Amino acid sequence: MEISDENFRVWAEKNEVYFDGVFRLAGPDAYAPIYSLITGLLHEGHKQVTFDLTGLEFLNSSGINLLAKLTIEARKMGDLLLIVKGTHQHPWQAKSLPNLKKLHPLLELRLA
Amino acid sequence: MAPKIFGIESLAEISLDSGARLTLRDGPLQLGWKHSGMTSDFIAEIMALPYSRSRKDYLQAHHDIGYLSNELIENAVKFRQPGEILIEAGIIDGSFLLRVKNAVDSATASRFQQLLHRLQSKEPGVLLLEQIEINAISPESGSGLGLLTLLSDYDARMAWTFENNDEHIALTTTAAVAMPPSSNR
Repeated sequence: MEISDENFRVWAEKNEVYFDGVFRLAGPDAYAPIYSLITGLLHEGHKQVTFDLTGLEFLNSSGINLLAKLTIEARKMGDLLLIVKGTHQHPWQAKSLPNLKKLHPLLELRLA
Repeated sequence: MAPKIFGIESLAEISLDSGARLTLRDGPLQLGWKHSGMTSDFIAEIMALPYSRSRKDYLQAHHDIGYLSNELIENAVKFRQPGEILIEAGIIDGSFLLRVKNAVDSATASRFQQLLHRLQSKEPGVLLLEQIEINAISPESGSGLGLLTLLSDYDARMAWTFENNDEHIALTTTAAVAMPPSSNR
Protein backbone atom coordinates (compact mmCIF):
# COMPACT_ATOMS: atom_id res chain seq x y z
CA MET A 1 0.00 0.00 0.00
CA GLU A 2 1.75 3.12 -1.21
CA ILE A 3 0.84 6.49 -2.70
CA SER A 4 3.53 8.79 -4.03
CA ASP A 5 4.48 11.51 -6.50
CA GLU A 6 7.77 13.30 -7.17
CA ASN A 7 7.55 15.16 -3.84
CA PHE A 8 6.17 12.69 -1.29
CA ARG A 9 5.57 9.06 -0.41
CA VAL A 10 3.01 7.57 1.98
CA TRP A 11 3.02 3.87 2.75
CA ALA A 12 1.79 1.42 5.37
CA GLU A 13 3.57 -1.51 6.99
CA LYS A 14 1.27 -3.58 9.21
CA ASN A 15 -0.21 -1.02 11.63
CA GLU A 16 2.27 1.78 10.97
CA VAL A 17 1.88 4.53 8.35
CA TYR A 18 4.95 6.41 7.13
CA PHE A 19 4.81 9.93 5.64
CA ASP A 20 7.81 11.17 3.72
CA GLY A 21 8.74 14.35 1.83
CA VAL A 22 6.69 17.46 1.09
CA PHE A 23 2.85 17.55 1.08
CA ARG A 24 1.69 20.47 -1.02
CA LEU A 25 -1.43 19.14 -2.75
CA ALA A 26 -4.20 21.48 -3.87
CA GLY A 27 -6.99 20.63 -1.42
CA PRO A 28 -9.14 17.92 0.18
CA ASP A 29 -9.93 16.30 -3.19
CA ALA A 30 -6.26 15.89 -3.98
CA TYR A 31 -5.63 14.36 -0.54
CA ALA A 32 -8.65 12.01 -0.81
CA PRO A 33 -6.70 8.90 -1.99
CA ILE A 34 -4.32 9.21 0.98
CA TYR A 35 -7.26 9.71 3.32
CA SER A 36 -8.92 6.55 1.96
CA LEU A 37 -5.75 4.47 2.24
CA ILE A 38 -5.23 5.36 5.89
CA THR A 39 -8.90 5.24 6.90
CA GLY A 40 -8.93 1.69 5.52
CA LEU A 41 -6.04 0.77 7.80
CA LEU A 42 -7.72 2.38 10.83
CA HIS A 43 -10.70 0.05 10.28
CA GLU A 44 -8.65 -3.16 10.00
CA GLY A 45 -9.13 -3.95 13.69
CA HIS A 46 -5.66 -3.12 15.06
CA LYS A 47 -5.38 -2.26 18.76
CA GLN A 48 -3.03 0.58 17.92
CA VAL A 49 -1.97 2.46 14.80
CA THR A 50 1.12 4.64 14.46
CA PHE A 51 1.58 7.61 12.13
CA ASP A 52 5.30 8.15 11.63
CA LEU A 53 5.69 11.77 10.48
CA THR A 54 9.42 12.05 11.14
CA GLY A 55 10.13 12.12 7.39
CA LEU A 56 7.45 14.71 6.59
CA GLU A 57 9.47 17.88 6.05
CA PHE A 58 6.69 20.23 5.05
CA LEU A 59 2.95 20.28 4.55
CA ASN A 60 0.42 22.93 3.58
CA SER A 61 -2.74 23.69 5.52
CA SER A 62 -4.72 21.19 3.44
CA GLY A 63 -2.21 18.59 4.59
CA ILE A 64 -2.83 19.64 8.20
CA ASN A 65 -6.52 19.20 7.46
CA LEU A 66 -5.82 15.63 6.29
CA LEU A 67 -4.01 14.72 9.54
CA ALA A 68 -6.82 16.33 11.58
CA LYS A 69 -9.51 14.38 9.71
CA LEU A 70 -7.62 11.12 10.24
CA THR A 71 -7.31 11.92 13.95
CA ILE A 72 -11.07 12.48 14.16
CA GLU A 73 -11.64 9.18 12.35
CA ALA A 74 -9.44 7.42 14.94
CA ARG A 75 -11.28 9.24 17.75
CA LYS A 76 -14.57 7.73 16.57
CA MET A 77 -13.12 4.25 17.20
CA GLY A 78 -13.03 4.39 20.95
CA ASP A 79 -10.66 1.46 21.62
CA LEU A 80 -8.01 2.29 19.03
CA LEU A 81 -4.78 3.85 20.31
CA LEU A 82 -3.33 6.35 17.84
CA ILE A 83 0.37 7.11 18.24
CA VAL A 84 1.81 10.09 16.34
CA LYS A 85 5.60 10.19 16.02
CA GLY A 86 7.16 13.55 15.15
CA THR A 87 10.46 15.37 15.28
CA HIS A 88 11.73 18.81 16.26
CA GLN A 89 13.88 18.71 13.10
CA HIS A 90 10.88 19.92 11.09
CA PRO A 91 9.59 23.07 12.82
CA TRP A 92 5.94 22.72 11.74
CA GLN A 93 5.58 19.60 13.84
CA ALA A 94 6.08 21.23 17.26
CA LYS A 95 3.77 24.07 16.19
CA SER A 96 0.84 22.16 14.71
CA LEU A 97 0.89 18.56 16.01
CA PRO A 98 -0.28 19.53 19.54
CA ASN A 99 -3.59 20.53 17.88
CA LEU A 100 -4.18 16.83 17.15
CA LYS A 101 -3.91 16.09 20.86
CA LYS A 102 -6.57 18.77 21.50
CA LEU A 103 -8.86 17.01 19.02
CA HIS A 104 -8.26 13.57 20.56
CA PRO A 105 -6.95 13.59 24.14
CA LEU A 106 -6.18 9.83 24.05
CA LEU A 107 -3.80 10.30 21.12
CA GLU A 108 -0.19 9.70 22.11
CA LEU A 109 2.09 12.38 20.69
CA ARG A 110 5.80 11.51 20.65
CA LEU A 111 7.91 14.48 19.59
CA ALA A 112 11.61 13.59 19.66
CA MET B 1 -14.18 54.52 -2.49
CA ALA B 2 -11.81 54.34 0.48
CA PRO B 3 -10.11 50.95 0.93
CA LYS B 4 -11.51 48.68 3.62
CA ILE B 5 -8.86 47.39 6.02
CA PHE B 6 -9.18 44.38 8.34
CA GLY B 7 -6.63 43.22 10.91
CA ILE B 8 -3.62 45.28 11.96
CA GLU B 9 -3.86 48.55 10.00
CA SER B 10 -0.29 49.68 10.69
CA LEU B 11 0.97 46.49 9.03
CA ALA B 12 -0.89 47.34 5.81
CA GLU B 13 0.96 50.67 5.67
CA ILE B 14 4.54 49.40 6.10
CA SER B 15 6.63 50.00 2.98
CA LEU B 16 8.34 46.97 1.46
CA ASP B 17 10.14 49.01 -1.21
CA SER B 18 13.53 47.83 0.08
CA GLY B 19 12.51 44.14 -0.13
CA ALA B 20 12.22 41.64 -2.95
CA ARG B 21 9.47 41.92 -5.54
CA LEU B 22 8.11 39.16 -7.76
CA THR B 23 5.22 38.95 -10.22
CA LEU B 24 3.42 35.71 -11.05
CA ARG B 25 1.77 35.88 -14.48
CA ASP B 26 -1.65 34.45 -15.07
CA GLY B 27 -1.93 30.82 -16.19
CA PRO B 28 -3.70 27.50 -15.61
CA LEU B 29 -4.39 26.57 -12.00
CA GLN B 30 -2.17 23.50 -12.08
CA LEU B 31 0.80 25.54 -13.24
CA GLY B 32 -0.05 28.33 -10.79
CA TRP B 33 -0.02 25.74 -8.01
CA LYS B 34 3.44 24.55 -9.02
CA HIS B 35 4.67 28.15 -9.19
CA SER B 36 3.23 28.81 -5.76
CA GLY B 37 5.42 26.07 -4.24
CA MET B 38 8.51 27.08 -6.22
CA THR B 39 8.08 30.76 -5.34
CA SER B 40 7.62 30.15 -1.62
CA ASP B 41 10.68 27.82 -1.60
CA PHE B 42 12.68 30.53 -3.39
CA ILE B 43 11.61 33.25 -0.94
CA ALA B 44 12.48 30.97 2.01
CA GLU B 45 15.91 30.18 0.51
CA ILE B 46 16.92 33.82 0.06
CA MET B 47 15.26 35.34 3.11
CA ALA B 48 16.51 32.76 5.64
CA LEU B 49 20.18 33.29 4.74
CA PRO B 50 20.83 35.91 7.46
CA TYR B 51 20.11 33.17 10.04
CA SER B 52 22.51 30.56 8.70
CA ARG B 53 25.02 30.94 11.57
CA SER B 54 22.85 28.73 13.78
CA ARG B 55 21.37 25.55 12.27
CA LYS B 56 18.36 25.69 14.60
CA ASP B 57 17.60 29.36 13.83
CA TYR B 58 18.07 28.76 10.13
CA LEU B 59 15.64 25.80 10.09
CA GLN B 60 13.10 27.83 12.04
CA ALA B 61 13.41 30.93 9.82
CA HIS B 62 13.42 28.88 6.62
CA HIS B 63 10.34 26.92 7.63
CA ASP B 64 8.31 29.86 8.97
CA ILE B 65 9.02 31.96 5.86
CA GLY B 66 8.22 29.00 3.60
CA TYR B 67 4.95 28.12 5.34
CA LEU B 68 3.68 31.71 5.45
CA SER B 69 4.63 32.39 1.83
CA ASN B 70 3.13 29.12 0.63
CA GLU B 71 -0.22 29.72 2.33
CA LEU B 72 -0.60 33.30 1.09
CA ILE B 73 0.45 32.52 -2.47
CA GLU B 74 -1.70 29.34 -2.59
CA ASN B 75 -4.71 31.46 -1.56
CA ALA B 76 -3.92 34.07 -4.20
CA VAL B 77 -3.60 31.39 -6.90
CA LYS B 78 -6.77 29.61 -5.80
CA PHE B 79 -9.06 32.62 -5.42
CA ARG B 80 -7.73 35.14 -7.94
CA GLN B 81 -9.54 36.61 -10.88
CA PRO B 82 -7.47 36.38 -14.08
CA GLY B 83 -4.43 38.61 -13.73
CA GLU B 84 -1.05 38.94 -12.10
CA ILE B 85 -0.15 38.22 -8.52
CA LEU B 86 2.26 40.74 -7.02
CA ILE B 87 4.49 39.53 -4.20
CA GLU B 88 6.73 41.64 -1.95
CA ALA B 89 8.90 40.22 0.79
CA GLY B 90 11.39 41.62 3.25
CA ILE B 91 12.81 41.42 6.77
CA ILE B 92 11.99 44.48 8.86
CA ASP B 93 12.70 44.96 12.58
CA GLY B 94 13.24 41.27 13.27
CA SER B 95 10.15 40.09 11.39
CA PHE B 96 9.64 38.55 7.98
CA LEU B 97 6.95 40.43 6.05
CA LEU B 98 5.12 39.21 3.00
CA ARG B 99 2.60 41.17 0.96
CA VAL B 100 0.53 39.53 -1.79
CA LYS B 101 -1.78 41.48 -4.09
CA ASN B 102 -4.30 39.93 -6.49
CA ALA B 103 -7.76 40.57 -7.91
CA VAL B 104 -10.83 38.76 -6.55
CA ASP B 105 -14.51 38.86 -7.53
CA SER B 106 -17.12 40.44 -5.27
CA ALA B 107 -18.57 37.10 -4.07
CA THR B 108 -15.11 35.93 -2.93
CA ALA B 109 -14.48 39.29 -1.27
CA SER B 110 -17.71 39.21 0.73
CA ARG B 111 -17.22 35.57 1.82
CA PHE B 112 -13.73 36.44 2.93
CA GLN B 113 -14.86 39.55 4.82
CA GLN B 114 -17.38 37.41 6.74
CA LEU B 115 -14.54 35.12 7.78
CA LEU B 116 -12.47 38.14 8.88
CA HIS B 117 -15.41 39.35 11.00
CA ARG B 118 -15.53 35.92 12.66
CA LEU B 119 -11.81 36.18 13.36
CA GLN B 120 -12.44 39.27 15.48
CA SER B 121 -14.92 37.43 17.70
CA LYS B 122 -12.85 34.45 18.86
CA GLU B 123 -9.33 33.23 19.53
CA PRO B 124 -7.74 31.82 16.35
CA GLY B 125 -6.84 28.60 18.20
CA VAL B 126 -10.51 28.01 19.08
CA LEU B 127 -11.64 28.84 15.54
CA LEU B 128 -9.01 26.48 14.13
CA LEU B 129 -10.36 23.50 16.11
CA GLU B 130 -13.93 24.48 15.17
CA GLN B 131 -13.03 24.64 11.48
CA ILE B 132 -11.28 21.25 11.65
CA GLU B 133 -14.44 19.67 13.13
CA ILE B 134 -16.58 21.32 10.41
CA ASN B 135 -14.25 20.04 7.67
CA ALA B 136 -14.41 16.51 9.07
CA ILE B 137 -18.18 16.30 8.51
CA SER B 138 -18.39 18.26 5.24
CA PRO B 139 -15.78 16.79 2.92
CA GLU B 140 -16.76 19.00 -0.03
CA SER B 141 -15.61 22.21 1.66
CA GLY B 142 -12.09 23.56 1.24
CA SER B 143 -9.74 23.25 4.18
CA GLY B 144 -9.95 26.94 5.20
CA LEU B 145 -7.15 26.33 7.68
CA GLY B 146 -4.40 28.44 6.12
CA LEU B 147 -5.06 31.74 7.84
CA LEU B 148 -6.13 30.05 11.07
CA THR B 149 -2.91 28.02 11.37
CA LEU B 150 -0.85 31.13 10.63
CA LEU B 151 -2.60 33.14 13.34
CA SER B 152 -2.83 30.27 15.85
CA ASP B 153 0.33 28.19 15.38
CA TYR B 154 2.74 30.83 13.96
CA ASP B 155 1.58 33.92 15.90
CA ALA B 156 1.38 35.75 12.57
CA ARG B 157 0.20 39.36 12.51
CA MET B 158 -1.96 40.08 9.50
CA ALA B 159 -3.80 42.81 7.59
CA TRP B 160 -6.17 42.66 4.61
CA THR B 161 -7.02 45.61 2.35
CA PHE B 162 -9.93 45.54 -0.11
CA GLU B 163 -10.05 48.21 -2.84
CA ASN B 164 -12.92 48.44 -5.32
CA ASN B 165 -11.85 48.96 -8.91
CA ASP B 166 -14.10 49.16 -11.96
CA GLU B 167 -14.40 45.45 -12.65
CA HIS B 168 -13.01 43.65 -9.65
CA ILE B 169 -11.68 44.05 -6.12
CA ALA B 170 -7.98 44.33 -5.40
CA LEU B 171 -7.10 42.30 -2.30
CA THR B 172 -3.79 42.98 -0.56
CA THR B 173 -2.76 40.60 2.22
CA THR B 174 0.16 41.49 4.49
CA ALA B 175 1.52 39.04 7.05
CA ALA B 176 4.43 39.17 9.49
CA VAL B 177 6.11 36.50 11.61
CA ALA B 178 8.87 37.05 14.16
CA MET B 179 12.28 35.73 13.14
CA PRO B 180 14.83 34.18 15.53
CA PRO B 181 16.73 36.85 17.49
CA SER B 182 20.20 36.01 16.18
CA SER B 183 21.17 36.84 12.63
CA ASN B 184 24.52 37.22 10.84
CA ARG B 185 23.94 40.91 10.33
